[in-house]
Amino acid sequence: MSEKLALFDDGIRRVAVALPFDIDRLIDEWSGLRSPMIRSRPDSFTRDEWAYLITFLDPAWLKRVFESHFGKPSPATDGKITAILRPRGRVAVWLPNNVSLLGPLTLILVSLSGNPMWLKTGSHSDDLTAAFLEFCRTALPGGPLANYLLDRVRLESFDRDDPRVREMAATSAVRIVFGTDEASAAIDALPHPAGSLSFAFSDRRSEAWIEPSSVDDQVLETLAKVFAIYGQAGCTSPRRVVVIDGTAESARQLRDRLLALWRRAIPQDPPMNVASANIMTRQWAAISGWSAALTDRHGAVLAVGDASLPELEGTAVLPIVALTLDEAIAQLPENIQTIGHAVAHPLEERWLRMLATTSIKRFVPVARMHHFGPVWDGFQFWRMLFEEVEVAS
Amino acid sequence: MSELLDQGPFAPRDDSLFLREMNALSRWHLDHCPEYRRVWSDWHDAHSAAELPYLHAGLFKHVTLQTQAEGIKHLRVLLSSSTSGGQPSRIALDERSSMLQERSTRSILAEFVGSSPRPLVVVDDPRALRRRGEVSARIAAAMVLRPLATEIQFLLADSDPVVPRWDVLLDVLARSQELLVYGFTSILWQAWLAAELPASVRGALAGKTIHFVHSGGWKKLEAARIDRRQFDAGLLVGLSDRSRVLDYYGLVEQVGVIFPYCEHGFHHAPRWADVIVRDPWTLAALPDQPGLLQLLNVLAHGAPYHSVLTEDFGRLAPGPCPCGRSGRRFELIGRVPRAELRGCANV
Repeated sequence: MSEKLALFDDGIRRVAVALPFDIDRLIDEWSGLRSPMIRSRPDSFTRDEWAYLITFLDPAWLKRVFESHFGKPSPATDGKITAILRPRGRVAVWLPNNVSLLGPLTLILVSLSGNPMWLKTGSHSDDLTAAFLEFCRTALPGGPLANYLLDRVRLESFDRDDPRVREMAATSAVRIVFGTDEASAAIDALPHPAGSLSFAFSDRRSEAWIEPSSVDDQVLETLAKVFAIYGQAGCTSPRRVVVIDGTAESARQLRDRLLALWRRAIPQDPPMNVASANIMTRQWAAISGWSAALTDRHGAVLAVGDASLPELEGTAVLPIVALTLDEAIAQLPENIQTIGHAVAHPLEERWLRMLATTSIKRFVPVARMHHFGPVWDGFQFWRMLFEEVEVAS
Repeated sequence: MSELLDQGPFAPRDDSLFLREMNALSRWHLDHCPEYRRVWSDWHDAHSAAELPYLHAGLFKHVTLQTQAEGIKHLRVLLSSSTSGGQPSRIALDERSSMLQERSTRSILAEFVGSSPRPLVVVDDPRALRRRGEVSARIAAAMVLRPLATEIQFLLADSDPVVPRWDVLLDVLARSQELLVYGFTSILWQAWLAAELPASVRGALAGKTIHFVHSGGWKKLEAARIDRRQFDAGLLVGLSDRSRVLDYYGLVEQVGVIFPYCEHGFHHAPRWADVIVRDPWTLAALPDQPGLLQLLNVLAHGAPYHSVLTEDFGRLAPGPCPCGRSGRRFELIGRVPRAELRGCANV
């Protein structure tokens, strides 16, 4: 047996996690990649994406993935163990064509579970996962992580009609699907092993909720940066900004402040087609009744208006509306995922009561809206990559 | 209606007259098209063409704009081809503008292919005509030549894949020494050049005078490594030396105005139209740098497509053209390059 047992203790029970490598060494190797990552960046990644990936590989954060589920590392080998957690088996991951950093981030998280992995990427896209995997395989000097990525990670690009799609479903203990509801349903309908698990991370949308009293330049710069990464295309991007208990005037003021600092927050020019499309979106928004303005160099369209106006379409349009909390709750979309907040007391009772009675999956500061983690869309999916063996003396 | 149409398309122009007509037309649309007014609510008369208001071409994919006023009778909606997989543009055609637009195209074409009537063979599938109340851009482009046509015949039984009905062409050739042939550039290439013409057709074409007119862009031909010289030479082989090939740039959002490609490699704007090149990030007018093409004309009364910012990329050429035509000339570079959009598959 090459499995290593890592002990954790959460104060109530002690568990042993069986992994095919030494977890501390694996985490050291992941975080050690940050040095070569700082020195060079594959062309496929934007500067922001690469910077986020580097942050994600912080060793303290990677260790917290274990600690948040199993407790603190337990150095003692004596004492009672109540369970052994062992990798469940092959994890199949479906990544769609336009997928963002979710591919590389999932790769990192699943690697921590020690499970073998089969990733399918889209057949016509600029594939970040393959680029990242290639970077890792080249930059790593050897060791458990290099071996894991070489021997246990299979990454292929093919389309949905390829017979390998069926094979992935039929041979995996866990299926993780990023994509549309239709794609998730289609994969779920494929023959798969009894007892295997499925996690569908499909169509979701998010909002930023801001109290006027919490608005300052730092919050607004963060909002601009979070929005600019994926615009309306990211499931964790704010589809709109809701000024909670604000007025039309406070929404307008927020928009005008955002316009004033946008260039400082996002100094790089948008692609030419995005700049052009934003000119169109600004005009379309005006026709629809919104008061819309282009940011400097046409990186985004910021639109203020009544929440009852027609929804705006466009990759980089950010509507800003003022609502009471009750109105904001009543208007939550069914597929709401993240509320990025900038509010004075996010843990006070009115927010907690709201979370208890709505389908919001995450309530995090605006800066953390895109932060992918081991709990996603309400699932402890990373924890479920292990099966638990009860142990009693 | 427009003094500018009273002279030939490439005669010298008084720019202040063009500006005066464009200002009046912009005010007309502001007064009678509420959607347009919302976009340009604080616009005042322009002192130069660069100050004239415009709509982005993409807007016509989302909103069917109409200017409703006395004397304007809307006829039907013109649809663009949605070749890039998106929604088609929808342009509301009206009686008054159509009259001007027909006059415009006839005048421009006469400059390049002459004005004598002759049969027109459209290298396309007639089924594209059969949409009630709507006209596809391909058909609209072919119909640009209608004023010069004694009859119109469609060459294709199907356009995807291309299936020519050579008997139609043989019949026309048997009756006429001269004809016009129109096709979208890529379809003309597929039907006429990519597949070998039957010997009977080659024989019937020999010595005839044909003016080929095409539009729609070179993307597919570039992919097939066919350049303009090969294309033109292939079309003209075996024909009389009075035969010609005319390529023009145009779009449904500028119906009635075509920008023909001259023998010196430039597209020309007629005197009742204009071209501005703009920086995509600032909208500054660029005198000699590449940027987004804005197309303007004084013909569009039924909807505010008289000034349209396109997603085509081009560059103005300074000074007079060696071909002798007056007015603005430009080099068409292509479509604005598209960067991939990333997200979570929910787009």
